[in-house]
Amino acid sequence: MNRSIHPHAFTNVFETLSRDYLQGKDEVLRLSVIALLVGGHILVEDLPGLGKTTVALALAGVTGLSFGRVQCTSDLLPSDITGLSIYNREEGHFSFQPGPIFNNIVLLDEINRAMPRTQSAMLEAMEERRVTIEGVTHPLPDPFMVFATQNPSDQSGTFLLPESQLDRFLICTGIGYPDEQLERQIIAGGGIRELVSNLVPLVTSAEIIAAKKEVHAVYLSDKVLSYIHNIILATRRHDLILTGLSTRAAINLAQAAKASAFLCGRDYVAPDDVKSIAVAVCAHRLIMRNEMTNADRGGVVRTIISSIALPLA
Amino acid sequence: MVAIRSLTAILTYVIGLCGMIPLFPWLSAFPRVILIVGLLIGLWQDRRGEWLLKPWMQNVAIVPVFIYYALQFNRTNPAQPVISVLAVMLAVRLSGEKSVRHSLQIYTLSMFCLASSSLFDLNPVFLIYLGLLLFLVALALVLLTFQNQGHDMTVSKPDLKRIIFSALLMPVLTVPLLLLFFPIMPRTQMPLWHFLSPPPTRITGYSDAVEPGSQSSIAESRSLAFRAEMPRQVQKQLYWRGTVFNWTDGNKWTRVNKAPTEQAEFTGQTVRQLIYPEPSAVRTLIALDRPAVFALQRALRSPDGVFELSRITSGRLSYTVDSQTNGVIAQRNAINRRFYTQLPDLLPSRINDLASEIISSGEDDRTRVALLENYFRNGGYRYSTVDLVTGNRALEQFLFNKKQGNCEFFASSFALLLRAAGVPCRLVGGYLGGEYNDFGGYYLVTDAKAHVWVEAYIEGSGWERIDPSSFAANAGEVWVASRSRSLFLRFSMALDSLNYFWNRSVISYDFEQQVNIARQVGSRLQGINPSKILLNFVPYLAGIILLAILLFAVRRTSIFHTREQRVLSRFLEIVERDFSISTAEGGVGLFEIASLADNSHVSSFVEIYAGAVYHDRRLTDDEYLTLKHILLSLNSFGSKIS
Repeated sequence: MNRSIHPHAFTNVFETLSRDYLQGKDEVLRLSVIALLVGGHILVEDLPGLGKTTVALALAGVTGLSFGRVQCTSDLLPSDITGLSIYNREEGHFSFQPGPIFNNIVLLDEINRAMPRTQSAMLEAMEERRVTIEGVTHPLPDPFMVFATQNPSDQSGTFLLPESQLDRFLICTGIGYPDEQLERQIIAGGGIRELVSNLVPLVTSAEIIAAKKEVHAVYLSDKVLSYIHNIILATRRHDLILTGLSTRAAINLAQAAKASAFLCGRDYVAPDDVKSIAVAVCAHRLIMRNEMTNADRGGVVRTIISSIALPLA
Repeated sequence: MVAIRSLTAILTYVIGLCGMIPLFPWLSAFPRVILIVGLLIGLWQDRRGEWLLKPWMQNVAIVPVFIYYALQFNRTNPAQPVISVLAVMLAVRLSGEKSVRHSLQIYTLSMFCLASSSLFDLNPVFLIYLGLLLFLVALALVLLTFQNQGHDMTVSKPDLKRIIFSALLMPVLTVPLLLLFFPIMPRTQMPLWHFLSPPPTRITGYSDAVEPGSQSSIAESRSLAFRAEMPRQVQKQLYWRGTVFNWTDGNKWTRVNKAPTEQAEFTGQTVRQLIYPEPSAVRTLIALDRPAVFALQRALRSPDGVFELSRITSGRLSYTVDSQTNGVIAQRNAINRRFYTQLPDLLPSRINDLASEIISSGEDDRTRVALLENYFRNGGYRYSTVDLVTGNRALEQFLFNKKQGNCEFFASSFALLLRAAGVPCRLVGGYLGGEYNDFGGYYLVTDAKAHVWVEAYIEGSGWERIDPSSFAANAGEVWVASRSRSLFLRFSMALDSLNYFWNRSVISYDFEQQVNIARQVGSRLQGINPSKILLNFVPYLAGIILLAILLFAVRRTSIFHTREQRVLSRFLEIVERDFSISTAEGGVGLFEIASLADNSHVSSFVEIYAGAVYHDRRLTDDEYLTLKHILLSLNSFGSKIS
């Protein structure tokens, strides 16, 4: 394989991270890297204190990308995220002060605490990859990834993201508690925030951009394409689901699968790749029937996947 | 623990050998080589646990061999192609995977092979192989039922012992019973078909004496008397000679055993018959009148052409007779006229009157016989088996008053009158006529056909057969009019021929007969042109094959697997077997398999295979070979861990 960047570099990234810093968070790390490589965004839904922020920080640290953080509250204004123009008395004109969103990796902590207005401003920026303030359009940096978190249990004073906006996230996943052994180790070792802040970058931003191109060029065979399409169709036919996956979801599924294949060191997508990211990519986009809104969407996706045969030949 | 599968595999090979070894010396080179190669391939594949030879390949491979030998089918030596095909089929089955079905086929083929070896050699070793086969097949069948329940079933050693014990018990118990029943059952004296012979009410078959007037009616019995295998004869000459009554007291005719010596001279054409009498307590042997050459050692010959068994045997017998049927037997020397003109002292006056009338009218024997015949023909006598005259003077009553009687009346009175007229004569008891069975080519004679006629000695000619019953006014109806061959009769004839062949070939088992049958089959086979038959059947055969292919294709569209599909299915098989990863219905991805299996061979297989397949391209030849190598090493790896 004649490539400008070897996927091993990225494999190294999250191997290093999960081995040395973020034990037990391989999956969320992998998904984050996939989101980064596809240019998508990731929503991590889990309880506080499970290392959501640390994962984002570590990812930024190891990739050497700039990192911005927004702690969402109900009084957070859109300009607090996007930035604003401030009059410079010495120079005699307004100059644009970019907000935290002008970073490669933006952590939107507890996104469901922000007002819908703020949420939609953020999501618009995520989708458009640029911010227009007072008639001036400011492009966002190229690897750009939003790492949003939300606390599913905290219901008071929160504004749940509408489905249409959930669709903007490539991946939605949880972290989960580490297993007993690991948790004891983590407790014994103490916090790793300091360690994470001293991380040495393992890849450059140029490499990431090159890798994104590589991911785009990963071969998607007809068989796997039909497999993806079958999954999409199955969600649209499922009894519990009101609205199945959109075409954008299908595109995202294919993109994420490509990134997953790239991370595995392949230049083609295998059905396994699709299977491995399907829940993370699809579950949050499903709109369930009224009586089923509390159903386990991940479980539904898993049943759909298990009902469709992987194309092996 | 012992795996049932390996046991049945070993048994299958041993059984195959039991069929192969006895046949081996009689095979030509090609089937011999095929047998050895097939056995070795089977053993080799069994050791590896991988079956490169698929059943369909084998089945396809047999077809040309079969066609070749079908064309080779030789009129003079039909056995060689047949045993060659048998051997090749056995070899092919031995070479392949031994599924339950194939194992059963091997057992059957082995049996056939062993049986066909007896075509060439009747060696006592055959029995050893046969016994061995019986035991082994019984054991293998029991084990196969276990294998059929679970392919990888294992049993503990004590359980296995019990299974083997009970499996062997079956042949052990059946063999002595078999030995007991086999000679007894088919050779029973009881007729298998009582169809033609309901239990008789009263037997009319001839007896020790002819005594007309002892009963008023005769019940006809359809009881079978004998069968005679011979070409069809003129119905009028079908006089079956049994015994001769040569002494009379005026009412009753009996046989005096010390018949005077006479020497018959047979000059006419003879008819050969093969007679199968039904077992009875009568010692007299039946033959077409008049027997010239009697081929039965135990038969005692009387000078008057009566043959008797030296003693009554319980078994069935059969004998060949050559008879001269024209009814006139010349004599070399003069006969004892006095003996054959013996009469009681007192005869009814009316008989004496009639006799003296004949004597005065006729000079010699011939004219006197003719005169008496005329008297009978013109006397208005009627033949009947009912409303008979009874009593002491029955013959006189019959002759002059009633004029109605059965053959006994006709013959007795005729003979009595002849003797009174000075013509030497005697009564012959036997049978007349019989139904010819076209299916079996034999005459079937029942007791109802029992008959008595007269033999008169005519000077210058010899003993001449005279049937007085035929002089009856209604003789035409009774004797000449042939019975219409009703459907029922034809059916009973067909049934009887079955019975006949059963008696012939099983009950009165005769090796020479068997050889003859075999020869006949052989000569019939010579009339068959195999290539012509084959040619006629080609369209049908082609149609059947096409239909079979079509059905097969419909049922399994995946009959023509691509290379990729083949290696994949083999790979999945191995993975499922050795790593117990369920790969059914594509539930697991290849890379998932690789990570679950955690085996370098599996990983490299998946890499190469998926690299081609998920690039939407075929496997290159190199890749294909590499994959096959990987599969081989995986397989050996699997057999090591298992």
